[in-house]
Amino acid sequence: MLEVSDLQVRYSGIQALRGVSLNVGAGEVVALIGPNGAGKSTLVNAVSGLVKPAAGRILMEGRDLAAMDPWAVSKSGVIQVPEGRQVFPQLNVLENLQLGETALQGRPPAGGLEDVYDLFPVLKERSAQLAGSLSGGQQQMLAIGRALMGAPRFLLLDEPSLGLAPVVIAQVFAALRKLKSRGMTILLIEQNVRLALDLADRAYILDQGKIVLSGTSQELAADASVVAHYLGVMSE
Amino acid sequence: MNAYVLGYLPLFDLFLLHLGLAYSQWLVLRSGVFSLATVGVAGVGAYTGGVLVVTYGLPAPVALVAAAIGGGLVSLLLAIPLARLRGVYQAIATVAFIQIMLSLNNYAEKITGGAAGLNGIPKVVDTLTLAVCALATIYLMTAITGSRIGRAFDAIRQNEAVAASLGVSIEAHHRLAFIVSGALAGFYGALEAFHSYTLVPSQFGFPFLIAILSYVVFGGRNTIWGPIVGTALLIILPELARPLAEARMLVYGLLLILTINFLPKGVADTLIERIHAKRLRAKPAPAPAPTAGS
Repeated sequence: MLEVSDLQVRYSGIQALRGVSLNVGAGEVVALIGPNGAGKSTLVNAVSGLVKPAAGRILMEGRDLAAMDPWAVSKSGVIQVPEGRQVFPQLNVLENLQLGETALQGRPPAGGLEDVYDLFPVLKERSAQLAGSLSGGQQQMLAIGRALMGAPRFLLLDEPSLGLAPVVIAQVFAALRKLKSRGMTILLIEQNVRLALDLADRAYILDQGKIVLSGTSQELAADASVVAHYLGVMSE
Repeated sequence: MNAYVLGYLPLFDLFLLHLGLAYSQWLVLRSGVFSLATVGVAGVGAYTGGVLVVTYGLPAPVALVAAAIGGGLVSLLLAIPLARLRGVYQAIATVAFIQIMLSLNNYAEKITGGAAGLNGIPKVVDTLTLAVCALATIYLMTAITGSRIGRAFDAIRQNEAVAASLGVSIEAHHRLAFIVSGALAGFYGALEAFHSYTLVPSQFGFPFLIAILSYVVFGGRNTIWGPIVGTALLIILPELARPLAEARMLVYGLLLILTINFLPKGVADTLIERIHAKRLRAKPAPAPAPTAGS
């Protein structure tokens, strides 16, 4: 479904991505893991059209996303849940969700508001509350719900566990598992490797702008170097 | 009507005229554009209206519509180079635009009368006309900002990258804000022309820009009440302090500094926010979900 080939991104001289290639098939959940500053968010932003690559191609079902404006990318059904939630604090929960519908433009909605409220009941309770007054976990749920309102065919999740309490992370990932069981295609960025490998079918490990390892989640979870580098002493 | 009320009618007219221009400024700020072009476009509208009536003998209503269209077009032209700029760079570019318009009106003596002014404009606009225009403007602004477009404006202002990644076209919405703001400025510029007998280029210069911007910053940038409250207070206050009326700009400046420091959201926006907060506290708080986040 998504094919990234030899992607290079530079920020005023600094090379953030040095020729990254990866692919995500329809219905697959693929994780992109790696340390801080590896270029994970840069890759997501390049796919979203927010960052223009210096070289390489980002093909989504044959269309080159790199040549499109960010709003055109999301209207084509490739929707990002940004790192750090980034809800609109001065708008209420419902208004935030309704903004997510902007990406529809002619495409039929997936489950709409009811589906989002079903997935995250707390959003229904708080629909009239300003998004800025929600807790971090609720904001993350709102950010995911907002993206779902645009009926994504391809969901980009940038660090959904960032800064959340373990019990809230479990809730967010339970919802993601539900999305996966429905056949949603997802590219998941995570620093929490155990969590990522648990959810994903396959994973890529990005380090200093390059893919250093890839494989199925089981393979990577069993890989001695992955365990040593990313799972550390917490592995059993 | 008694003489006391009649005495204040010119002040009320001034309020209505400036209110329209304040909304022109307010709309672009609301959509996340830091354009200050309103006054320059108002100048274009005023001269378009004035010249069409004085030189070409067109009826005033036709000239008003022409001024609105002209203002919208000029503003749209301005939007193209400004699309690449943000924040303070947009502000500087639009201040330069105001200066260019001012100079053009000065030098194009054959058309505008130059520094001597454009004279003999019929005064066809009365208080009632202005009041109807102001109400229509408030209605239009409420309709726009209460719609999907208004939400998109809010999203762009709060976080442009996220708005774009949700499918909100920044370019299209900014262009729309420029066109509507420009049409308003052009229209109210022409109203101003038909409300006085004469126009001079320097009228649409830097002091006027500061006045209009003050209304919005002082009143509030995000709610529909901001321009109304800001314009009303800043026009009435100097009158109440008659001895200070000569120092109107000084009073504006002081008020701006005080507002920015103590009510950074503006008088109306701050009040509305406090009322909302009070209402939320008055309501029984929803039982915190056992699952509430970190």
